[in-house]
Amino acid sequence: MSRNAAEWMQQPKFPRSHFVDSRIYTDEAIFREEQQKVFNKSWIIGCHESELPGAFDYRTFHHPGGTPLIIVRGDDNVVRSFYNVCPHRGNTLLYDPVGNAKRITCIFHSWSFDTKGNCVDITREEQGFQKRFCKADAGLREVRTEIGFGGFVWVNLDDGACTLKEYIGDALGMLEGHMSMPLEVFHYHKAVVHTNYKLWHDTNSEFYHDYMHYFNRVTGMLQPGYFERKYTGYANGHASVGSMTIKYDAYEGGKERGVGWPGLAPGGWILIDIFPAMTYNLRTSVLRMDTSIPLGPNKLLVEFRGLGLKSDTPEQRAERVRDHNTIWGPFGRNLHEDLLGVHGQGRAMRPGSEATWVLHGREENMTIHDEGGMRHFYAEWSKRMEREAYDPHGDRHVSEVP
Amino acid sequence: MESAAPTPATRIAIEELIYRTCLALDEKNFKAYLDLCDDDFRYTITAHSPEIRKDMIWLDHDKAGMQLLFANLPRHISDHSPLTRHAIVFTVDHAGELTQVVSALQVFKTTLDGGVTELFAIGRYLDTVRVDGTIPKLTKRVVKLETRQFGFGNHIPF
Repeated sequence: MSRNAAEWMQQPKFPRSHFVDSRIYTDEAIFREEQQKVFNKSWIIGCHESELPGAFDYRTFHHPGGTPLIIVRGDDNVVRSFYNVCPHRGNTLLYDPVGNAKRITCIFHSWSFDTKGNCVDITREEQGFQKRFCKADAGLREVRTEIGFGGFVWVNLDDGACTLKEYIGDALGMLEGHMSMPLEVFHYHKAVVHTNYKLWHDTNSEFYHDYMHYFNRVTGMLQPGYFERKYTGYANGHASVGSMTIKYDAYEGGKERGVGWPGLAPGGWILIDIFPAMTYNLRTSVLRMDTSIPLGPNKLLVEFRGLGLKSDTPEQRAERVRDHNTIWGPFGRNLHEDLLGVHGQGRAMRPGSEATWVLHGREENMTIHDEGGMRHFYAEWSKRMEREAYDPHGDRHVSEVP
Repeated sequence: MESAAPTPATRIAIEELIYRTCLALDEKNFKAYLDLCDDDFRYTITAHSPEIRKDMIWLDHDKAGMQLLFANLPRHISDHSPLTRHAIVFTVDHAGELTQVVSALQVFKTTLDGGVTELFAIGRYLDTVRVDGTIPKLTKRVVKLETRQFGFGNHIPF
């Protein structure tokens, strides 16, 4: 039976933890607040160490909180991060996504900095500033940086934040034995989609949408062990999904993956979501890493990386590339479907559209089609935002028990 | 073997082959597309990522692999916006049976709702064509893409 307006907005017959108000996906003010309270306070992956192979190699990074960063390896081999902002007149220091710079020199007035963030040259310093201001006053703003958990370079804009190890806690325990060897990025591409970043993270946090993926249905859902995969929630909003054996040859033309991954069973698949918007997705034989950079409440940039082992032979690497492309490449079988799915959500729940409820109500003992992974995320989101996801503006009058 | 300019008739036949591949894919007439390809056909999509300083392979299939890919398409969910491929043949270097052809490629996407057309991708076709008799066949196609962002993407090769 269809519903009228009042019935449509009637509180769902679930506990308050089992649904959210769609305005959390569309409201500009909430988005700006998320940048401050969530992204600027969290450890975020900026790049991978293999993207900075040598001294003075740098990578620019658009931090999801909105601040542009430089990530650079010094000649002491230490990777540091700085605001990509000249302390003089606020110009961009480095424009290219990658490069090698012994000195970082602003194009505007030629102020120069070394890879430790020291200002090493102010043009006509004495003539202009006399003794009132000098290079020691003009260092770059350094951002806390740590390398870990597969060789990723993590940054945190909050000088008072906990350590990366404390932030991750036990969440990446399932991957511990599988990331002991150095990794290398072999695939990188971006996608911009008009949707909210949380909806992409949701897609990585629930497997009920495997109904959308023919590949996942035949290689996973129809295979033994699929419905035993369990979600586990961890402190700080992270969540994992247990492994099973994927039957890759069940897809027409598919074949079992020949090249393995350290410690992971053939056909194994582990997925771990890191709050607020990163996902480790390890299928024998490739690690895929998604990092989301929200550009607005309804505009999202996702970075997709594919990683193999640094020690790969050319033949092993070619196999990993092929395995990656089959489902995860820009012309693969799955990725396009996932992006289309969240594009549809962004289209239906765009700013200005009438608010609706979004349900996270499935309970299946935290197994694969349970929506507990998303509930776990929104509990953390609500805590950090000091807003309830089911009633972000306090005007819904939602009762605990409907 | 030294390369040489093809005869005008051969060049016309080769250009028409390239354009027919575009028309066949635009019409999703995959059988017609594969009929334009040799039995030992190889299809590859490549792109260079400045971000990771690496050349990438995004798709790589032989003729049977392409046939399977096309056969599997209806089993997957796709955006239904039609793509239109525009190729312009730049160079044709003839060397014996095999001819190297470089073409500019532009792919346009047109929305079903309203018919807005946007540039979807640019790149080049780097083709190897076998000219054996009067009908040239595509032996190898490398789609070298400059565009690396496709929004919510596309299942169907260029």
